[in-house]
Amino acid sequence: MATALLISHGLVAVALLGAMTHQTLATWAPTRVRPGSFFERFRTVPTAAFANAIAVLYVVSSVLGAIVYVYFRVEISRTLENSGYWRILGFFDLKEHFVAIGLALLPAYWACWQERGDRHARTRAAVTLVLAAIVWWSFLIGHITNNIRGFEL
Amino acid sequence: MTSSRWFRRFAFGYGISFAVLYVLALARDLALITVYPTLGVILFGAQHAQDAAPSMGSIPVIYWFGWTATAALGALVFGCCAALLPERWTRPIWSGWLWVAPVSAMVACVYLTLPWFRR
Repeated sequence: MATALLISHGLVAVALLGAMTHQTLATWAPTRVRPGSFFERFRTVPTAAFANAIAVLYVVSSVLGAIVYVYFRVEISRTLENSGYWRILGFFDLKEHFVAIGLALLPAYWACWQERGDRHARTRAAVTLVLAAIVWWSFLIGHITNNIRGFEL
Repeated sequence: MTSSRWFRRFAFGYGISFAVLYVLALARDLALITVYPTLGVILFGAQHAQDAAPSMGSIPVIYWFGWTATAALGALVFGCCAALLPERWTRPIWSGWLWVAPVSAMVACVYLTLPWFRR
């Protein structure tokens, strides 16, 4: 059960990472790029269209993560403590904190992307970047923790 | 689909206040609930059973749900207050707080997590 949940959590996280990265890069990319280039096509995607998918994927990923977290605390964290993986446990703690902060930011992020006009354009871009940082951190730390034996940390 | 003005005020208030309250809950250990997953027990408040009974120190305990619940509940109050305020009161508030507060909270979380890295 835990393995199935972890794999589902990972798959949703991959989809979230892709959508979040695309939206963030398209939002922050410079407007002056070579016409017809890959980057120009990349940044011309309708960025607002990603907001709904990102919000849903973030919530689903967080819920799955919260369920898997119980298994982690019961079966994995004690083993990591006994093996002296303190830095990984610290990084994982940060992942928990960042995910919670990001989850609370989600309604405002969604509201920013529903708005027409440029009134909150800078805030929208900044909030998107913060969420992208949280998603990337969570993804990387989650995978490093899952594959800790191969990292020799 | 566009978000209504009251929802935007609620969302902005909720996001900002959650970040602040989460750091407070973490720093002061203000967990609304404590979960003992192996016992299937959820207790109200931050319970440190191992302080009273050292033999319980080996039982896994989860505070993260409690810290999140504390911050979520507090932020809900602040968010509702922000939603009820007249637009002319909230308009002058700099919207940049929406990213400054979470980033500051994340930095504070890094500081509060430092003991893990000093072991």
